[in-house]
Amino acid sequence: MALSWRFWFLAPMVMALATVVLFPTVYLFWMSTQHWLVTDPQRFFVGTDNFQRLLAGADFWQALRVTAAYLVLSTVIMLGLGLGMALTFARAGRGWMRAIVVMPLVIPPVVAGFTWRFLLNGEIGFLGAWLLPAIGLELNPLAEPRAALVSVVIADVWSRTPFMFLILLAALQSIPRDFYEAARMDGANPFHEFFFITLPLLKGALFVAILFRIVDAINTFELIYVMTRGGPGRATQILSIFGWRTAFQELDFGQAAALGVVLLFICLAGAMLLFRRFVQRDLEAGA
Amino acid sequence: MSAPRRYGRWLALIRAGFLGVVFVFVVFPLVWLALASLKTRAAALEVPPALVFTPSFEAYEKIFASGLVGAFANSLTIALTNVALSLAIGLPAAYALARMRGAVQQNLSFWVLSIRLAPLFSIILPLYVLFKALGLLDTRIAVAMAHLTLTLPLAVWLLMTYFRAMPVDLDEAAMLDGAKRWQTLLLVIVPISRPMIASVAVIVFIFSWNEFLLAFFLTARDAQTVPVVVAGLAGTMSFDWPLIAAISIGSMVPALIFVGFAQRHIVEGLASGAVK
Amino acid sequence: MKASTRLLTAAAFAIALPTAASAQTEINIVAFAPGFAWADMFGPSGTDKTDKLRAFEEATGITVNIEFADEETARQKVLLDLVNQTGTYDLVMLGSDGAVQTFSYAGYLEPLDDLLSTATEYFDPEAVYPQFLEANRVDGKLWALPYYSFGAGVIYRKDIFERYGIAEFPETTEALAGALDTIKAGLEKDGITDVYPLTMRGAPGEEPSLDLSGFVYAYAGYPAWFEGGATTPEEIRANDARPIFTGEFREGFEAFVEWSREYGPPGIATHTWVDMMNLYGAGQAVVLMPSAINGFAALGGTENTDVAEHTAFAPSPAGPSGLPVQSFWTFSVGVSAFSDNKEAAYKTLAFLTGEQAMQGFAETIGWPYSTFPAITRGEVLGEKWPAEMLDQIEASYEQADPHYFPYIPELNAFMERIGTAASEAISGSKTVDEALAELQAWAEERMERAGYYE
Repeated sequence: MALSWRFWFLAPMVMALATVVLFPTVYLFWMSTQHWLVTDPQRFFVGTDNFQRLLAGADFWQALRVTAAYLVLSTVIMLGLGLGMALTFARAGRGWMRAIVVMPLVIPPVVAGFTWRFLLNGEIGFLGAWLLPAIGLELNPLAEPRAALVSVVIADVWSRTPFMFLILLAALQSIPRDFYEAARMDGANPFHEFFFITLPLLKGALFVAILFRIVDAINTFELIYVMTRGGPGRATQILSIFGWRTAFQELDFGQAAALGVVLLFICLAGAMLLFRRFVQRDLEAGA
Repeated sequence: MSAPRRYGRWLALIRAGFLGVVFVFVVFPLVWLALASLKTRAAALEVPPALVFTPSFEAYEKIFASGLVGAFANSLTIALTNVALSLAIGLPAAYALARMRGAVQQNLSFWVLSIRLAPLFSIILPLYVLFKALGLLDTRIAVAMAHLTLTLPLAVWLLMTYFRAMPVDLDEAAMLDGAKRWQTLLLVIVPISRPMIASVAVIVFIFSWNEFLLAFFLTARDAQTVPVVVAGLAGTMSFDWPLIAAISIGSMVPALIFVGFAQRHIVEGLASGAVK
Repeated sequence: MKASTRLLTAAAFAIALPTAASAQTEINIVAFAPGFAWADMFGPSGTDKTDKLRAFEEATGITVNIEFADEETARQKVLLDLVNQTGTYDLVMLGSDGAVQTFSYAGYLEPLDDLLSTATEYFDPEAVYPQFLEANRVDGKLWALPYYSFGAGVIYRKDIFERYGIAEFPETTEALAGALDTIKAGLEKDGITDVYPLTMRGAPGEEPSLDLSGFVYAYAGYPAWFEGGATTPEEIRANDARPIFTGEFREGFEAFVEWSREYGPPGIATHTWVDMMNLYGAGQAVVLMPSAINGFAALGGTENTDVAEHTAFAPSPAGPSGLPVQSFWTFSVGVSAFSDNKEAAYKTLAFLTGEQAMQGFAETIGWPYSTFPAITRGEVLGEKWPAEMLDQIEASYEQADPHYFPYIPELNAFMERIGTAASEAISGSKTVDEALAELQAWAEERMERAGYYE
């Protein structure tokens, strides 16, 4: 029997992803078991050594804490802002305004990083050196550890909220009007409407938005790198910057790969959890 | 009926205030960037910045004088190639997944989604090894292919959820008329999904256009993209902020044209079922 | 699917195929700073070949291709290229503060000693300041040739020093600290809040490490990283020399951190050399040290008349040990061990770092640093800079110990860690002792793992 059409439809995707993702991932697992220091001509199998050293070191946990803080802070703000914007724009058209608020989407994060670095710079930046002191805030937004984390979150929110906004806006607009009209007949106020109609119907969109946000946050690199280089000290050194430093500055490819593997599992676990909660039931319901 | 009206006035006020804050937050850095691109190097670093000044187009002239235009061509080629690949591979896959049921479908769609979770910094070296073996280092096709790690799962997922929401009757009607599956997809499904496909194309384009890390490592002289060039300029001995600002503004133009062209489709397409 | 694969392959070939092969040998280089490095060869944008370069290409049959990236990222590209033995680049940008040491020990570079005699018409090793060659000598062999290079020094605002009653620039670190106190108090009294007594760099990573190593050297009187001042793998192995970051390294480290906190700008814990340069150029810093080169970079771009008119140079002050604070570095270029055309690569390298090229550097950039005494003493620089300053700069090379930090394969990783430790201490997220204890623990583990003490 000829292979099902489904096979031919899926094969290119599976092949493409296998090439650009599966191969690197397998390679990554292999690397993580190697003693591989660029400074050392010998490369050999060390089992779980890299993992043990990684988990025993303070750097990993520090970077994990920073990543968690950064992830939670930026995601919460982005969700709030994105949802607020989506609600505001859902009814009225406001075409030109909508076009303007999504503009940061087309600015590469590396540029967004430079822009905010210069705005927030404590000596020559418009915000950091002029506006903040003018309103009585005497702190350096890029060099004071906590402020630096807030600064990179602000830049990230600026750069990435539009994507979340678009997904949520689209979902909002696909909710039939009748739902609201029916609720209003029953005397519901706008808050009831939001909590009992809007929010439940946004579940799927929220899953997609949050998942892509997490992936994005974990992979944030150039934005933070150009703003603070992960500093001051290690205050904004999220896992991706820590991994970069381990691999390309400290030249410890084995340990960097171990970090990659650990990170992959953390993300998988998170995604599985979200998937179960938000999506699986819907997929089953569709069956 | 008085309750909604009472809330309505307050809500309108809150909305207006919120919108104002958001607007300033979004627009201010853009305006500042645009102004910096029209200043001289020293003036761009002044505090407080001058709002009234004689604009200088020196920075923009430099872009054209110095062959940086090539980077724009690279970025555009890479992003468009990536869009074409994502759609060519993603459309049939998404359609097949949407018409499947049960464990295989669930596992496969989760696998597709989780592909995006591989941390980029850790696949750089393997990807470099891979493209070296293929002899594709410093080519635009290599970057376009590498960007599939980011864009293909996104495209498949968005299209799959969209196709699922489409009634199966359409397929069945076409099949009854004797159409093969690929004909059904190309002649029936694709035409009515145009807004959605357009919006997926835009999103894929933007992700590819903005990406830095992979583009940086896989390119050398011939295939550098705009973000890579911007990062490179920051390392020159004369920190040319207006030039960086000008390239940044310039880098928005092609993306804006592309987005503007499909602006309406993005929201409509996504709204018609993709993210429900 | 078959069709799409075929299409893909075809597309890949169409894009990947190199330009038609020619009789010319192609030499590829990766470097940073377009319009600065070899502006006389590749033009102000780094993309237009000049007549000078074309003449070389015609005379030798070598086509020279250069790729510019930003400094830190260019290093990563060199690293990937070498680790994978790709050989994309025949000539690689190195730098005498890590790359030369790491890559030479790893066997990724071609030793140049035997090649030196093959292109003396371009590069005559006898005509260069020996310290700049010494900086690129590891384990007795020469691995790279120096392009633009510098010694330590101070760039400062004479007018502000005089305003607060300091006529001469201090000659010791102790006296300089006193002067900086006076200036700080004076600025405060005059209500000037946006000018800082000192600008240095404190971003995490290798950024501050060169200058910091210079402080450590001046305070301890030797490269105080390992017991007994061991600076080579052999010495470390032979004497079982342990890291001493919590020992004699501490004094210089603490001074660097304290000065940054006391006299530096508020954002110094994330500042790179770009910020250092911008601040001085904007007239917001009184002293820039010990990498005076960044001050000359600022002078080149400033539109601030006070900065342009009242800037002066002074030799780097001596630390408690009597030795001056160091900041000696060469932007050096080496030949990849995986190059297919090593002789042509060397010839190109000799041309790009030779007297002609440095003359071009002096003419286009005009900084008072050169690797050739003949150029320091030549017309171009002589007309531009006071003779006394050129004497002092020359002295800074002669006084320099190019090996003021250890020459070990792990140098990159150490530089990275030291800089990050400094950034943490400067920002106050750790005390000096906490930061150093962590550095010490890491260093011991790293050296153990590399098998030094077996």
